[in-house]
Amino acid sequence: MRIIICFFLVCHHLWMSAQPTFPYNGVLPKDVNAYAFIHANIQADPSTLLTDATLVIEKGRVLAVGKDVSIPANAVVFDLQGAYIYPSFIELHSDYGMPKAPSARREWGRPQMESSRKGAFGWNDAIRPEQDAALIFSPSPELATEWRAMGFGAVLTHIQDGIVRGTSALVSLGEDRNESLLIPQVGAHYSFNKGSSTQDYPSSLMGSIALLRQTYYDADWYKKGGQKEEQNLSLQKMNEIQKYPAFFDVQDKWNLFRADKVGDEFGVRYIIRGTGMEYQRIEDVKKSNVSLIIPLQFPQAFDVSDPLLARWIEFSEMKHWEMAPSNPLLLSKAGIPFALTASGLEDKKDFLKNLRKSIERGWSKSEALAALTTVPASMIKTEQMLGQIKQGFIANFFISSEEIFSSNSIIYENWVSGKRFEVNAKEKKTLSAGSYRLNVGSDVFDIKLEQGERPKNTAILVQGDTLRFSVKVSEELNFLQLILTPDSASSRLGVLRFSGVKNTTDWTGQFVRRNGDVESAVFSIIKENKEEKKSDKKETTPETLGSIVYPFTAYGWEKRPEQRTVHFKNATVWTNEKEGIIDSAEVIISGGKIVAVGKNLNASAYKNVEIVDAKGKHLTAGIIDEHSHIALASVNEGSQASSAEVKEGSVVWPEDIDIYRQLSGGVVAAQLLHGSANPIGGQSALIKMRWGANADEMLISNADGFIKFALGENVKQSNWGDFNTTRFPQTRMGVEQVYYDHFIRALEYGEQLKNPKKLVRKDLELDALLEILNKKRFITCHSYVQSEINMLMHVGDSLGFRVNTFTHILEGYKIADQMKAHGAGGSSFSDWWAYKMEVKDAIPHNGALMARKGITVAFNSDDAEMARRLNQEAAKAVKYGGMSPEEALKFVTLNPAKLLHLDDRMGSIKVGKDADIVLWSGDPLSVYSKVEQTYVDGICYFDRQQDFQMRKWMEQERARLAQKMLQAKELGLPVIQPVYRAPKHFHCDTMDQSSVGQFYREK
Amino acid sequence: MKNFLLLMALFPLVAVSQFNPAPAPKQSKSILIMNAHAHLGNGESVENAVVAFEKGIITLVADARTVRLDLTKFDTVIQASGMHLYPGFIASNSTLGLHEIDAVRAFNDVAETGTFKPSVRSAIAYNTDSEIIPTVRSNGVLLGQITPRGGVISGMSSVMQFDAWNWEDALIREDDGIHLNWPQVYHRHYDKGKIAIEKVKSYDQQLTEIRLFFEEARAYAKSKMDVTEVRYEALRGIFQGLKTLYVHADDVKAISEALRFKREMQIKHMVIVGGYDSWMVAEDLKRDSVGVMLRRVHDLPMLTGDDIDMTFKLPYILYKSGVLFCLQNEGDMERMGTRNLPFFAGTAVAHGLPYEEAVKSLTLNAAKMLGVDKQLGSIEVGKDATLFLSKGDALDMQSNDVVHAFINGRALTLTDKHKALYERYKNK
Repeated sequence: MRIIICFFLVCHHLWMSAQPTFPYNGVLPKDVNAYAFIHANIQADPSTLLTDATLVIEKGRVLAVGKDVSIPANAVVFDLQGAYIYPSFIELHSDYGMPKAPSARREWGRPQMESSRKGAFGWNDAIRPEQDAALIFSPSPELATEWRAMGFGAVLTHIQDGIVRGTSALVSLGEDRNESLLIPQVGAHYSFNKGSSTQDYPSSLMGSIALLRQTYYDADWYKKGGQKEEQNLSLQKMNEIQKYPAFFDVQDKWNLFRADKVGDEFGVRYIIRGTGMEYQRIEDVKKSNVSLIIPLQFPQAFDVSDPLLARWIEFSEMKHWEMAPSNPLLLSKAGIPFALTASGLEDKKDFLKNLRKSIERGWSKSEALAALTTVPASMIKTEQMLGQIKQGFIANFFISSEEIFSSNSIIYENWVSGKRFEVNAKEKKTLSAGSYRLNVGSDVFDIKLEQGERPKNTAILVQGDTLRFSVKVSEELNFLQLILTPDSASSRLGVLRFSGVKNTTDWTGQFVRRNGDVESAVFSIIKENKEEKKSDKKETTPETLGSIVYPFTAYGWEKRPEQRTVHFKNATVWTNEKEGIIDSAEVIISGGKIVAVGKNLNASAYKNVEIVDAKGKHLTAGIIDEHSHIALASVNEGSQASSAEVKEGSVVWPEDIDIYRQLSGGVVAAQLLHGSANPIGGQSALIKMRWGANADEMLISNADGFIKFALGENVKQSNWGDFNTTRFPQTRMGVEQVYYDHFIRALEYGEQLKNPKKLVRKDLELDALLEILNKKRFITCHSYVQSEINMLMHVGDSLGFRVNTFTHILEGYKIADQMKAHGAGGSSFSDWWAYKMEVKDAIPHNGALMARKGITVAFNSDDAEMARRLNQEAAKAVKYGGMSPEEALKFVTLNPAKLLHLDDRMGSIKVGKDADIVLWSGDPLSVYSKVEQTYVDGICYFDRQQDFQMRKWMEQERARLAQKMLQAKELGLPVIQPVYRAPKHFHCDTMDQSSVGQFYREK
Repeated sequence: MKNFLLLMALFPLVAVSQFNPAPAPKQSKSILIMNAHAHLGNGESVENAVVAFEKGIITLVADARTVRLDLTKFDTVIQASGMHLYPGFIASNSTLGLHEIDAVRAFNDVAETGTFKPSVRSAIAYNTDSEIIPTVRSNGVLLGQITPRGGVISGMSSVMQFDAWNWEDALIREDDGIHLNWPQVYHRHYDKGKIAIEKVKSYDQQLTEIRLFFEEARAYAKSKMDVTEVRYEALRGIFQGLKTLYVHADDVKAISEALRFKREMQIKHMVIVGGYDSWMVAEDLKRDSVGVMLRRVHDLPMLTGDDIDMTFKLPYILYKSGVLFCLQNEGDMERMGTRNLPFFAGTAVAHGLPYEEAVKSLTLNAAKMLGVDKQLGSIEVGKDATLFLSKGDALDMQSNDVVHAFINGRALTLTDKHKALYERYKNK
């Protein structure tokens, strides 16, 4: 028995006032009054709650707020009867009022090297600093309604398209274009996503990073005088927007650190729109010293009712489901400043729900309020006008029935710049269950009303007999109608009607009898059954949460392993040194280094020495994979013939399960190479398999720089289909020209740099090539056919650089003598062939033949599966070509270390070298041997026993989470289909998903 | 030395050439292999064995210490002390000879276009002159089931031997079975940046189509028709129990449904190809006498949370549960990788499979599933002398060194393109 009435009958359009310069069609309305809100609980700022206080606003601003506030005479007064007033929330990441960004669409397959924009902008369509949100802003009433319903009053909006996205505008959620625009240019916005640009470059994440860096450098050059050489509106704008706070939309957990790095390089402290997964690397986020905008995007539980389907769900996805609501709490515990954003939610109604979920996890309410008001206000330097209910501030606030964190709380109204918008009409209950009386002359009807959908309302009239009626009640605004239908015994009275209007406590009106006689009557309350208010405070025991694992995926550590001091005894030690293979020998590792090798060693100098009896077991240096594409977020930036500016080191992905799998095969380090889509590829990352570390910690410090080159079918796009016939080069002849051209340019660039007076545009691509010429960077070149290998060596000889390593080099056996003369090493597959025309002459004896000519030979994987049994591949050098086992093992240990210039610290078991060692169950070259332990820097990252326990633990953890998800489903919470994040496996010519090209999995 | 000379006489070193060696002539003589460590392929081994064959058929398998032999009765005696003798390894579910250089479309004869194409036959496309084949023989893989791919019903495979002039003389068992790719129960689809797994909407419909196709073929097979329906005709052997239905499936639900299909359609011979999840339904597989041609051992686990060694351990797991299984090599770079089949077995041994069982998984087990075990798959009297001698353990890459190989007694010339190029450049 509820009826809904409008809380306030005033409609907002009454206040609509025209802007001074605008003509008005009609009698000009003026904003002349003030509005006072009395008896309200006012949250003036995140830490100040004024109870039973008054708020007065006038002309869109707060006039006064407090307990003893005098109400101006021109004020319209609203009694809030204990309702709450909050400063409206501020959104910093939105495209509210922006046109929908066009999706990248162009003719399938054909390359697009150049910009397709009109105007004198820069060369790349993903760089759009000239985009100005204010110029195209147009309020959207429907979206504004959604935002206001969540409690927002002002949003920062920008065009979410491109890597440089131009400036944002701060707008309020009103409905008038001009009134809504609060500040036209507020922030400068960035991302790594090229958006609607159909240009090929960048086709990868590392390309985006390089492009953004180059743009900063170009803008600087332009400012310093470059504009004399080139008119470029993009660069001009790029310089102009630098004065605004910079926002970065990272879209990926690890991109946060990538963006932060770019920021550090150019002295920009980005405000980063995060992913909600920051808790997974909280220490790293803390160290990066960024401020954040965090979504409240919580995944729904998976429907795990079918266990056979549920097993497809990633461990990390299950854990994230549980942990996501704790993200704000963990961020605030770590002292990381952040604002909240409602962006990213599929259903905006989830925003307040999710906010409350995070509060349930123990996050403080005042911090939550701050993250929605004062923090975002100060991020955009509007802390003196927005985010609080304070004199002089913009009158942006909302009224809710209860404290906003209470699940029963309803937002009634949202006032934007002093204008009222209704959100939820206040539900006003007029008649509750209870006893009432209707007096009609001398007749007294005792009426009992019930609650519920089909209430049994009754009335009794004592007129000698006791006469009974059933009662129907209807309410409409302030009117009440009763219909009294007599039961059979009293049917002589007929159906009786009453209609009354409400006074303060009773209703007076007319009573109509059977015969049409009308009498005045009074309906009054005898006793209302007070509805028991549902207690909001549920006695809930705090939810048990699982632990965070590092990395946040299957086989992640609950506790990251530490360096150990280990004394291996009775082992067969393959030293890779002049001592050769020593039987029943000993090795001591400590402090991450090998500290002793030999027999009868004394470990008494070390503390906490673990003794490992390795009787019957073999100890070798760790395996180094010279050619790998695991642990990367992108591999190929193949859109141009040269992409020397891109760095695999900028896109290391430390959560790749293949890192752990390869540890189980004894791999301790790898060169993560750019792909082979272009003659000059990108810069390599040298990593150690530090499972659980972050991307930077994975990198080997003080290592030489390397770069990928490539020859043959991939770079001339032979197997890329019929569309890819435009990009230079398309023949081996063109490949040579790419090298000459680029190195000559690099030489000239180097000459220019020597003149300190000359303004030289910093060119990241030529920098890398110059490093090669200056012997600071070294080439690993993908190669197959002898002719082109000779070609590159000739180019190098004539321009003064050496090819450090030919990789694949499957025809190396044909020209081993020339390679030797040039000084190149070879890193090959043991036995791959026949996958392309250019490998039809590949033979498995290649490694041995090259080694016999004195070339440093390695066997590599280029394959996530093979990498975990490179020892078996090394053994094939014994089979094909008759290498000695000792030399064969060096193909995957010492020799790759040499090729990567790491042999001073890795690759053999020698005192002083890194404790990167592997304990094998037997002969490391035997197919029957397994890795028992793998150490990197003296830390045991793989242990067969431990692996077993981890798997058990993971099963238990999955089972626990599955139970929790089943309960969620039982409770009627929404569940979604299991989701599986397919592991990525890259090969040399895997193109990134972001590229428009096709996928290739050839080598 | 004497041995060496003998070898020279038997196998004159052909002039190093990039051509494949000529197929060996029919064996008319009697040959005795002495003192080899014989791995019989049936799960047994004889450490010091004597094995003899005549006209291509094995006539003697015995422990050297228990028999007395008159060596003069043999035309050729091979002293194989220290060597290992194995039945020829079988490459099940192989596309060897159907493709040569992956990137060159003109070579590709692996998958015919279309959906239901049971009458398509791989045998006739098998290229005996493939340069890959000799490199595979060089590691002990002497036989294969050459299998078409693609569609729902890919066509018919045939069992072939790897030393032949043309496909006709390569045939061992023509059209041994039909290959059915079980429809995907689940598929992954890209949804808001994630890969969602869901039941394929058309799964039931696809299954109905398969069922109807088989129903039609079965009805056709029962009746006598004036006209020949070529596709149904191809399936006739399945219902008569003369051909095997090879069902390619990895997911546990797909495997279970395939077993149900076998019972429902009263199919006598079925084999699961792939079978990543087959261990989950081991009892059902045994009950229905269905074997598994196990997915590649040297492959990554399917799911990130799976046991990191899952694929290495699967052979052992199936062995423990008593399911008939063999190893195969379908996947990336499968044809050139066929020569690594022995090492898959080796890896399986490292992860628990007993050695002789590993040999069995490349020989007799495969022969059983291919229906050629009466003739092939083990070193037993009366069977074909299709076997090879390796200087060392053939399952370990360090010691796999095949020095003699015989197919039906014919002594193979074990040169190949790789050895030839090695010889050519060795002394450059």
